[in-house]
Amino acid sequence: MTAVSGSHRIVERIVLGCLGVLFAAMAATAYGYGLKDRLGPGSGFFPFWLGVIGTVLTVSLLVLSLRGGSIGEGGEAAWPNRAGAVRAVTLFAGLVAAALVFEPLGFRLTAFAFTALLLVALGVRRPVVIALFALISGFGLFHVFYYWLKVPLPFGALGF
Amino acid sequence: MDSLPHLLSGFAAAMSPANLAYAFAGCLFGTLIGVLPGVGPAAGTAILIPLTFKLDPTGAIIMLAAIYYGAMYGGTITSVLINVPGEAASVITCIDGHQMAKQGRGGTALGIAAIGSFIGGMAATIALVLVAPPLAKFALSFGPPEFFALMLLGLCLVSGLAGRSLSAALMMTMLGLLVSMIGIDPVRGAPRFAFGIADLYDGLGIVPVVMGLYGIAEILITAERPVQEIIRTKFSGLLPSRDEWRRSWGAIARGTGIGFFLGLIPGIGSIVPTFMAYIAEKRISKTPERFGKGAIEGVAAPETANNAYANAAMVPFLTLGIPSSPTIAVLMGAFIINGLTPGPFLFQERPDLVWTVIASFFIGNLLLLILNLPLVGLWAKILHVPFKYLAVGILLLCIMGAYSLQQSAFDVWVMIGCGVVGYLLRKLDLPLAPLVLGLILGPALEKSMRTSLEMSAGDFSIFATRPLCLGLLIAAGVVVVGAAFKLAPRQLRDSEAQV
Amino acid sequence: MIKLFVRSVATTIAVLALAGGTAFAQSFPTRPVELMVAYPAGGSTDIGARIVASIAEKILGQPMVVVNKGGAGGQVGWTDMARRKPDGYFIGYINLPATNTVVLDPERKANFDVDDFVPIINQVLDPGVIWVRADSPYKTLGDLIDAAKKSPGTIRAATTGILSDDHLAILMVEEAVPGATFRIVHLVGGAAQFKEIMGGNVDVAFDNVGSIVPRVRSGEVRAIVVLDHERSKFLPDVPTTKELGYPTVISSSTRGIAGPKGIPAAVVKQLADVLQKAMQDPDHLQKMDTAGLAVRIMTGDEYARYYKETHDKAKKYTEWAKKMEQK
Repeated sequence: MTAVSGSHRIVERIVLGCLGVLFAAMAATAYGYGLKDRLGPGSGFFPFWLGVIGTVLTVSLLVLSLRGGSIGEGGEAAWPNRAGAVRAVTLFAGLVAAALVFEPLGFRLTAFAFTALLLVALGVRRPVVIALFALISGFGLFHVFYYWLKVPLPFGALGF
Repeated sequence: MDSLPHLLSGFAAAMSPANLAYAFAGCLFGTLIGVLPGVGPAAGTAILIPLTFKLDPTGAIIMLAAIYYGAMYGGTITSVLINVPGEAASVITCIDGHQMAKQGRGGTALGIAAIGSFIGGMAATIALVLVAPPLAKFALSFGPPEFFALMLLGLCLVSGLAGRSLSAALMMTMLGLLVSMIGIDPVRGAPRFAFGIADLYDGLGIVPVVMGLYGIAEILITAERPVQEIIRTKFSGLLPSRDEWRRSWGAIARGTGIGFFLGLIPGIGSIVPTFMAYIAEKRISKTPERFGKGAIEGVAAPETANNAYANAAMVPFLTLGIPSSPTIAVLMGAFIINGLTPGPFLFQERPDLVWTVIASFFIGNLLLLILNLPLVGLWAKILHVPFKYLAVGILLLCIMGAYSLQQSAFDVWVMIGCGVVGYLLRKLDLPLAPLVLGLILGPALEKSMRTSLEMSAGDFSIFATRPLCLGLLIAAGVVVVGAAFKLAPRQLRDSEAQV
Repeated sequence: MIKLFVRSVATTIAVLALAGGTAFAQSFPTRPVELMVAYPAGGSTDIGARIVASIAEKILGQPMVVVNKGGAGGQVGWTDMARRKPDGYFIGYINLPATNTVVLDPERKANFDVDDFVPIINQVLDPGVIWVRADSPYKTLGDLIDAAKKSPGTIRAATTGILSDDHLAILMVEEAVPGATFRIVHLVGGAAQFKEIMGGNVDVAFDNVGSIVPRVRSGEVRAIVVLDHERSKFLPDVPTTKELGYPTVISSSTRGIAGPKGIPAAVVKQLADVLQKAMQDPDHLQKMDTAGLAVRIMTGDEYARYYKETHDKAKKYTEWAKKMEQK
């Protein structure tokens, strides 16, 4: 089977570790909700035991990983090269930015900016194409969703 | 079979130009609704309720029902082509469907999905006509304890979704179950794991979660690759190869059975039949390792089950007036606004209406096939659009879709967060499907157990004294024991292979 | 890259300028108004909302879009409404006493209070009703109460939600008839309740008239008693708790429209007038009748008073319900 890089193993162990902590924390919180109730399992019963089992499983996988094994086959595990990483991060950053501003700024403006900026960041160079695409996505899609489908989308401070 | 003359006159009415037009419009609109990520059939149906004020009741209902099963197919299109589940039920189709698309076989995947949907829908409607009343009684016998046992059985089948590591699949299932418990609990009506954040009081919505885990993650992963087109191989022919046909027939037959059976039980939800059909198909297959890499049965089975389910869900709805899902609840609202109450007496009071609607199910399924099959090639061409434009467009649609669910930015954040999670999980080869299964089944399991105990005042024997429930629980036990036997040797083999 | 962006923006502005500018806002409303329902589409509240919205928007001059924000028994929707900008473009339904119990139940940790809303107008007052399957042995309220006294805690009574008006109604009955207790089963929504009754998994249902009028008409179910002062016009043959000698067992679910606190009084008045006209429209009344929803319009002081009264009443029974759970 394909060899898995060392950095991959490290990330795997960190993620498993975090999962383990998450399971344990949820189990602990669940304990506070009460395990028993006058009819049987209380609010916290199922989450508690699920958290416990989850912690056990995570720990066993972590041990397996530490001993040199790996859960994965490594197919998609290859970390991206620099260009690829930049692209992925840009898209992600664009998503986050859009999610942050689209309520205050209004949907149309956000969509417009999102489309235009990301296209530019991804390498498109023709202003007319960018403008057209951004207009269609920003204003065109909005029209379809808001007026035809009657899906309310935010208007934002500028009324856009 | 005194239904036959009714059905025939129903056909005559359903084929009137107006009703045909409504059915067609519904299929078209439904498919488009299904394609738009996040905007689900419930929303689409709700949008058109005002329209029903202006149309006659029969026409309105025909159209709304057509939207319902049309949307099922629309969700498939995006699942296959861009790995974004158009609505939650299409999640499983993403697994093999998108793989097929990446291999240039997207058209084939969509084609077999259309054919399977048609067969599943038709078979379910035929069964509806033949045996509706006794079936409806069967649906009623499923009370909370039986429901609990069925969901438990479903959960135990998760081993069918496991890849190489059963422990990883189990862990993901636990995570899914645990996350599904965020929100109001069924015991005291108090929020759990919400930490005062009001948006969490209803838990994480399943739609933003799967849109993120599958759709957003896919975009991020594809963005990394140097070649900026989603498919790399040449666009192959539309029709499945003979080998694929052979394998699909069985899948379609089994999918129909599973989808139909589960559709009779109110409250199951459209995701469960697709998962069950997929798992069953993988279990039965002699070459299960092909699943997850573009096995056509992995598309045929869930898609057929999906439509069989949607049509079968009409049985409890029409015969008893029990809506099985939120979308059907909207449909029922439309009935009520028009002064009609679905149930046995509607069959007697207004047989003309009921049988026209049933006849239009047949017509609608056919229209759906006619509408979608030729377009399959066109849809698949979307993958040829350069990634830059496609990615931006998809992300934007996802944002709108996630927001449109409840007009809440929180859902958008959940989607983005799950995008990151999905990305990481795929990098680490941790399976996503068990996570989704846990997420869906969790609330159903807990609530039905709680309701069962309320019914019995805390007496657990209620699960053992009801024959159907007991039978399902034993089946679940059998599945678990069977899986456990395979577990130990497999783990050993795994760790040996690592060395 | 900035230059490129600026050039793209410039192109867009040019296109927009050609397409024409937008008119300037003068008075309310200049864009669609959102009417929120705190429950999923298809329920009674939703049906009433859609009927009134379709008529009101013609009077208003702008679309009135029904928005479903379901979840947590309505808590999600109300929490959201309480946080919205009070400009009149976002209003929504409050369901009494559900909205009250959410606030009153300390475990629900509500992020809003009753004063966070300004009531605009009430649409529906749906009285509580006790109903059973048509072949049930309980034919009158007397039958039910006797059976409950004979074997306390065994008759399975279904509600449509924890601390719903149905739940409180059961407690009212238990209070009025000492010794009669039920085994309370909480289901989620009317459809689930209907299914379990028809399936025989629960024995009696506490719900509201609007949900079961069509079923009573078709003979599938029998309504035993209506929990109101006067008989329901939809169920004229069904006695009320008052006439049967239980004047304290009065329960109903009221659905009215409110907005986040702080909407200018003039806007509130305008909305109330528009909605009142819509609700008095014969088309509205006829459609609501067909759906079995009893229209009871209340505005201004009357509604505000009703709001407070319901709150006080709900307080008593909510506290009782919570105490029962500790046992």
